[in-house]
Amino acid sequence: MNVTARIRVWDLPTRIFHWSLAGLVAFSFVTGKIGDPWMSWHLRSGYGILTLLAFRIAWGFAGGRTARFSHFLRGPRIALEYAREALSGRYHPFAGHNPLGGWMVVVMLAALLVQACTGLFADDEIATQGPLAVKVSNAFVSRMSAWHSFNEWLVVGLATVHVAAIALYRWKLRARLAGPMVHGWVPVPPGENWPQPAMGHTGLALALLAFAAAMAYVLVVVYPAT
Amino acid sequence: MKKLAIAALVTAATALPALAQHMKLEDQVKYRRAAYDLLGLNFGSLSAMAQDKKPFDKEEAQSNADFAAMLATVPRHFFGEGTDKNTKAKPEIWTHRADFDAKMDKMVGEAQKLPAAVRSGDMAAFRKQVADVGHACKSCHDDFRAK
Ligand code: HEC
Ligand code: HEM
Repeated sequence: MNVTARIRVWDLPTRIFHWSLAGLVAFSFVTGKIGDPWMSWHLRSGYGILTLLAFRIAWGFAGGRTARFSHFLRGPRIALEYAREALSGRYHPFAGHNPLGGWMVVVMLAALLVQACTGLFADDEIATQGPLAVKVSNAFVSRMSAWHSFNEWLVVGLATVHVAAIALYRWKLRARLAGPMVHGWVPVPPGENWPQPAMGHTGLALALLAFAAAMAYVLVVVYPAT
Repeated sequence: MKKLAIAALVTAATALPALAQHMKLEDQVKYRRAAYDLLGLNFGSLSAMAQDKKPFDKEEAQSNADFAAMLATVPRHFFGEGTDKNTKAKPEIWTHRADFDAKMDKMVGEAQKLPAAVRSGDMAAFRKQVADVGHACKSCHDDFRAK
C-alpha cells in the first residue's frame, strides 16, 4: 500500500464541535440531576450547547463537504437498504456519514435543540428558572418544564444508541469510527478510489461560532432584561 | 412589622392541623400550593444570593430565612386523604406515606437551619445550607411531584 491511501474525512471544526458537544451534554445531564448548587452551571452549559447547535446548523450548509446536510442526507430507501446490508454483516464503508448515520445526526441535533429550547423556559419550582421563563405565561413554563424532563430521556436514549452503534461497528463490522472523529483520518479501502473531500475553513467556522454565540447572548442575556 | 408578621405566621401554623381537618379537599390543595409558592419565593431569594446572582443583603437574607423556616412547616398539614385531584401531587404520596413524611421532615429540618446560617455571617456555611435545602426540595419533587 502506498502512504497516501488515507484521506481526512472530518475537518477540524467538525471534530472540535463533536467533542465539545459530547462533553457539555454529559455535563448538563449530571448537573441537572444533582441540582443546586450546580444549576447555574447547568444553565451556562446549556447556553454553550445552544451556541454549538446554532453553529452546527450553519456548518451543515457552509462547512466541509462531509459536514454538509446535502452530503449525508439521503432518501429513506437508501438508508433502509444500507441498514439491511449492515445487519447481514456486509459492510460498505463511506467517506463520511453512512446513509443511516446521516439521519441519526439530524435526529440527535433536533432532540438537543428541543432540550435546549425547552430549558430556556423551564422552572424547577425550587430556585432555578430558564432566562425566558419571565417572558411567557406560567402554563407555558409548566409545559416546557415537563417537556424538558421527558425529552431528557430521549436525549439519553439517542446518546446510548449512538455509542452502542459505534461499538457494534467496531466489534461486528471491524470499522473504527471513533478515532477518525479525533484525528480526522480514515484509510481508503482497497479497490476504492476516494478523492479527498473539501475541508471547511477554520476561519469561517470561527466567524460562524462567534455569530452563534452573539445570538445566544442576545437571547439569554439581552432580551430577558428588556 | 416583620416580627409581627412572623408571630402571626407562627400562630397560624400551630393552628393549622385543626383548621385543615375541617377544610374542603380542594382548599387543602389551594393552601399547600400557596405555602409552597411563598416558600419558593423566599428560598429563591436566598438561593440567588448564595449563587451571587444578586448581592448578599444580610437583612433581606435574614427575613427570607425566617420566613422560609416558618413556611416550611406549613404544607404538610394540607396533604389529607383524597387531595389527589387537580394537583401535581402524585398518588404515591398516599401509598408511600412514610417516605413522603420522611422527606418532608428532612426538608423542614434543613430549612430551620437557614436563619442560624444567615446569622453566622459565614458565607460558606450559608451556601452549604442553601444547597442542602435545595436537595431536600428536589428529592421530594423527583418522587412525589408530577411534571
Ligand atoms: C415532602 C415533599 C416535598 C418537599 C420536601 C418539597 N416539596 Fe414542593 N411540592 C411538593 C408537592 C407534592 C407539590 C405539588 C403540590 C400540588 O400541586 O398540589 C409541590 C409543589 C411545589 C411548588 C409549586 C406550587 C404550586 O403553586 O403549584 C413550589 C413552588 C414548591 N413545591 C417549592 C418547594 C420548595 C422551595 C421546597 C424546598 C424548600 C419544596 N417545595 C419541598 C412536595 C414537596
Ligand atoms: C441540551 C442539553 C440539556 C440537558 C441534557 C439537560 C438536562 C437536564 C436535566 C437532567 C435536568 C433535571 C430534570 C430532572 O430532574 O428530571 C434539567 C433541568 C433543568 N434544565 Fe436542563 N438540560 C439541557 C439544557 C438546558 C438549557 C439550555 C437550559 C436553560 C437555559 C436548561 C434549564 C433547565 C432548568 C431550568 C431545569 C429545571 C427544570 C425542572 O427540573 O423541571 N437546561 N435539565
